[in-house]
Amino acid sequence: MDFFLESLKASWSLILSLDRELFRAVWTSVYVSVWSIVFAALLGIPAGLAVGLLEVPFKRTVITGLNSLMAVPTVLIGLLVYGFISRQGPLGGWGLLFSPSAVIVGDALLAAPIVANYTLSSIRGAHAAILPTAMTLGAGRLRSVLKLLSEIRFGMMAAVISGFGRVISEVGVAMMLGGNILGYTRTMTTAIALETSKGEFALGIALGIILMSVALLVNIVFQILQRR
Amino acid sequence: MGPLYRLRMLTKRHGHKAALSIAGLDIFEGCIYSLTGPNGSGKSTLLGILAFLSPPTSGTLHYDGKPVEWKGRSLVPLRQEVTLVHQSPYLFEGSVYSNLAFGLKVRGIPEETQRSRIGLSLETVGLSGFEERRARALSGGEAQRVALARALALAPRVLLLDEPLANVDGRSAEVIRLVISGLPGRGTTVVMTTHDPDPPSCLNGEVIRLEEGRVSAPPGAPETPVISMRG
Repeated sequence: MDFFLESLKASWSLILSLDRELFRAVWTSVYVSVWSIVFAALLGIPAGLAVGLLEVPFKRTVITGLNSLMAVPTVLIGLLVYGFISRQGPLGGWGLLFSPSAVIVGDALLAAPIVANYTLSSIRGAHAAILPTAMTLGAGRLRSVLKLLSEIRFGMMAAVISGFGRVISEVGVAMMLGGNILGYTRTMTTAIALETSKGEFALGIALGIILMSVALLVNIVFQILQRR
Repeated sequence: MGPLYRLRMLTKRHGHKAALSIAGLDIFEGCIYSLTGPNGSGKSTLLGILAFLSPPTSGTLHYDGKPVEWKGRSLVPLRQEVTLVHQSPYLFEGSVYSNLAFGLKVRGIPEETQRSRIGLSLETVGLSGFEERRARALSGGEAQRVALARALALAPRVLLLDEPLANVDGRSAEVIRLVISGLPGRGTTVVMTTHDPDPPSCLNGEVIRLEEGRVSAPPGAPETPVISMRG
């Protein structure tokens, strides 16, 4: 018990002393998570809309596929993207491997199915009269879909929050594609994994506290937005 | 002057079930029509087609003398002339004002004109001062009147009403009836559905009876495949 308390005490002094290494990992985590959720939303929202609103062939199979993609292990995505961006891979010349951009690509692919599925659920749960109402009031197809999106915005926010939660807390992609390079690609989760394996619990606990705080802060911000 | 709507050999199927099968029907401008018939007789299906929201399975529909091409972009200008108010109207999240402003914004109407049209429409349905009220917090009768005001603000050429008098309180029904009866005087054609086989006489319109998706000829009419009704 003393060991935990000591580690907790040490972790607070790291946080309060604004430890450079600690906050660099926090910044990298937030940076890659924000960018990856932006790209995941750009991929996932149109995909969810297309499946939800259009008569796509093999719709049920596509939905089952999207659901299954939510359960893909992070290391598998890491492995696939690694295959593409490693020196021998087709995109090896881009020099992305072991950079924050590589982690962003992997995390975006990880979160996109989550965003797509939540978008699809929001559309399915939306009132069936939204689109016909917008259309009979004279709106074209695009404007009607934008109105639908505005009506289901809380569901869309849930999609983004879930995606963000997934990417900020994952380790596999960040470790495999980022390489856990100190001050460059080391994120909160890879740092926690590394410090724990070294037996350095203080930094791990400090990062854990910050990780939870970031997740809490993001949820509070979205809740405030929802109330507005 | 020819009919505003001209339907010929028009059918609509839902899967294997024939929902509508109309040999011929003409609807003229500036009249009130009451579509009557039991549940499942095809009233709402016909309104959906007249609103250009749902294409027929076969047959032709002419609007204002031109055949309707059921292609995305060509339907938008038609929909801007014809407005459908659903039986349980959907009011968008936000204020009553923003609900009424939606269709006006779509048409690019200046904000000042929007404001005056919204005020006038709400006054017409007896809801002056409701602009800032939350649309979702209204009672059933108020919501129906706001939906009617939202349609009236657009000054549509044709107003389609799906059971406008169902599920509303007595006061709202009275207001809605009064508003509808005044519309032909403004040049608006009204087609409304009702369960009532004898629609209110104050509306003074034509009755089109649908049974199992077919138009039944009015009593005394010659046996002709085309029913041409002038209100």
